[in-house]
Amino acid sequence: MPWGERRSLLSGTNDVTVSILSKIRQSDKNGYWFVLPYVLFFLAFVAYPLCFSIILVFHRWNIVTPMEWVGLKNFQRLVADPLFLKSITNTLTFLLIHIPLQILVALVFALLLNSKVRLRGFFRALFFLPVVVSGVAVTILWQQLYSYDYGVLNGLLHAIGLPSIPWLIDPAWAMPSIAIMATWKNVGIYIVLFLVGLQNIPSELYEAASLDGATPSKQFRHITLPMLNPTVILIVVLSTIGGFSLFIEPYVLTGGGPMQSTLSGMLYIYNQAFYFNHMGYAATLGFVFALVILLVVIIQRRVIETEAT
Amino acid sequence: MKIVKTLLPVILLIINCGCHDDTPQTERSGGPRVLTYWPAPNAQEVELADSLVRVWNRTHPDVQVRMQPIPVSQSTEEVLLAAIAGKTTPDVCSNIWPGALHEYTQAGGLIPLDQFQDFSSVAGGRTPPELLRTFQSTDGHFYQIPWKTNPLMMFYNERLLLEAGVSEVPRTYPEYLAAGKRVSRDTTGDGQIDIWMGERDIRPIWWQRLMDFYPFYIAASNGGMLFEDGRVAFGNRASETVLAFFQDCYAQQLFPRTFFQGGDPFLLEKKATHFAGPWQVAHLKKFVPDLKYGVAPIPVPGDHAGPVYTSGDFKNIAIFGNTKYPREAWEFVKFLVTAEHDLLLLEQCDEVPVRGDLLTNPLFADYFTRNPVMTKFASQVVYTRGMDEVPDLKEILDGISQEYEMCAVYGRKSPAEAVRDAVGRAEIIIEWNK
Repeated sequence: MPWGERRSLLSGTNDVTVSILSKIRQSDKNGYWFVLPYVLFFLAFVAYPLCFSIILVFHRWNIVTPMEWVGLKNFQRLVADPLFLKSITNTLTFLLIHIPLQILVALVFALLLNSKVRLRGFFRALFFLPVVVSGVAVTILWQQLYSYDYGVLNGLLHAIGLPSIPWLIDPAWAMPSIAIMATWKNVGIYIVLFLVGLQNIPSELYEAASLDGATPSKQFRHITLPMLNPTVILIVVLSTIGGFSLFIEPYVLTGGGPMQSTLSGMLYIYNQAFYFNHMGYAATLGFVFALVILLVVIIQRRVIETEAT
Repeated sequence: MKIVKTLLPVILLIINCGCHDDTPQTERSGGPRVLTYWPAPNAQEVELADSLVRVWNRTHPDVQVRMQPIPVSQSTEEVLLAAIAGKTTPDVCSNIWPGALHEYTQAGGLIPLDQFQDFSSVAGGRTPPELLRTFQSTDGHFYQIPWKTNPLMMFYNERLLLEAGVSEVPRTYPEYLAAGKRVSRDTTGDGQIDIWMGERDIRPIWWQRLMDFYPFYIAASNGGMLFEDGRVAFGNRASETVLAFFQDCYAQQLFPRTFFQGGDPFLLEKKATHFAGPWQVAHLKKFVPDLKYGVAPIPVPGDHAGPVYTSGDFKNIAIFGNTKYPREAWEFVKFLVTAEHDLLLLEQCDEVPVRGDLLTNPLFADYFTRNPVMTKFASQVVYTRGMDEVPDLKEILDGISQEYEMCAVYGRKSPAEAVRDAVGRAEIIIEWNK
């Protein structure tokens, strides 16, 4: 209840009302104690690092020596740094491959798992398994699969008479290979989201459509896909956020190579901060990277809103 | 208020735990002075440190040393930088990589050892003067005393070379490439090469270049370093020759453009040569005791003359600036580098002390008789180089690594272009970080 209303209630009130209101005030105070742990957490792990990183943008600091004011020098360096632009382009390339692939694969498997197949529960659990496995463990596993000379995938290609594919050692193949791996790792979440979306479509729509003579493919195009639109929007947003934080896969698989073709924005920021101890420059990279993410999200939102109308 | 009363003791308890002082009771009550010593965290060195500290503590009741292996992390350098920042450094550490020294001294984390009058006699009496000078910082002081070195050399598989008809160990690039053409081949008939002349991790990670480009550059330039008088010095023919050599190795399929999976290819006898330090000896002894192998200097250009230099992968000893007892810490450092304890370093760890008299001092004779392969490393000690003590060395090595990948591994640039671009990148990095 707003305090203004409480004050108006207080005028001409009797003792009982005063007693009730004082209890309410006491319970408000208790409420502050309940939110205090989160406020402290927020101040320590969100607000403080955020403010500190803004200060860092204008400084040079290698953790051990005192900070040195450099004004806009970090931005000057960023503008002249070809690796930063390369890392942004690489991340966007990853998103362009990863998001459509993710949606397609998740939708196909969700449709299969939504039908009456045997062992449906088992397959649902199976597809979700990679999501809960450690990212590093998954990446090491895929390193074995992708190995050029000794990898399982190239072994299978040889078995059917096809040449080896340079999965991780050719600049043209490396990022698509990482996108395939990331799709395999995360697709379980999106299958679940699509399944929820599919199960929320009223069956009456399909019944009415089949009475009108609509074929299954027409039902899919005119009922299933439009009804799944909100889920697709959610998946695009989640995949975009996840895609911009691409780090473990290139860090473990390729170190950013070959020829910087898998150097993601996060990996470059990490290298600058923790390999080279350029905290100020890394903060500047992070700051500009956040602006790029913001820009992409705004564009996505505009496109999605236009599509919806 | 009740909540405050309940939470306050808990908060105070947590604060009290966080601020707990680990200093032994004896130090506070006027007992012995206590030094903290951090050795490298590998099992052999921890065992060595433990035995040395026991001897010291027994013979020095008034100065006790507490040994604690360097906390395990991605790298010792990260731990030490964090410790300097947090003012939690030990008094003495014996795992100082010279390449990171600049960061420590810039932060005022180390004390100059040449402030002690007997530094010259201790360090100079142990390490050859020419080599010792390479550890002098740009301000003229010595913040480290060279302790052990892992000279990078070429291990070769005798069987694989002989089976390919190579009877002489290759010593130059042309010899290596000629031998490689015989050794690298498909032995199973599936169209895939399965025995390689050599192999290197092709990922563009800066420290990987410390195992290929850097030692080969030192060898090709007769002991040159990446910097001279603080200026970039690797924009020369030696760098181009090294990149051209590795480019040939990849282009002629003597090295695979891949990562080996499922184990060390040298142990599995999938490659004939391997560039490593003496740590590989203990590794081979443990995992493939029957493997017939030899050790030789790393290959050099065909027109090379004189001894073959290599990188030393040094690990040195330093005293940190927050020590309360610098004099006592220096006495402990001197204790660590005596000839007797250098012998223990060889015996227990198969690691080579930075001594000029390893092959002449009778104290070590028995060890080298029993371990003839280690003689090769001992004879290499005087022809080793450390790391340049310059700011941003890691980032500069990262730039070299990118060019190495572009030129040597994928052949997308000529060696001259790659060297020019690596030098350009190094100069930009230096300029940026001025």
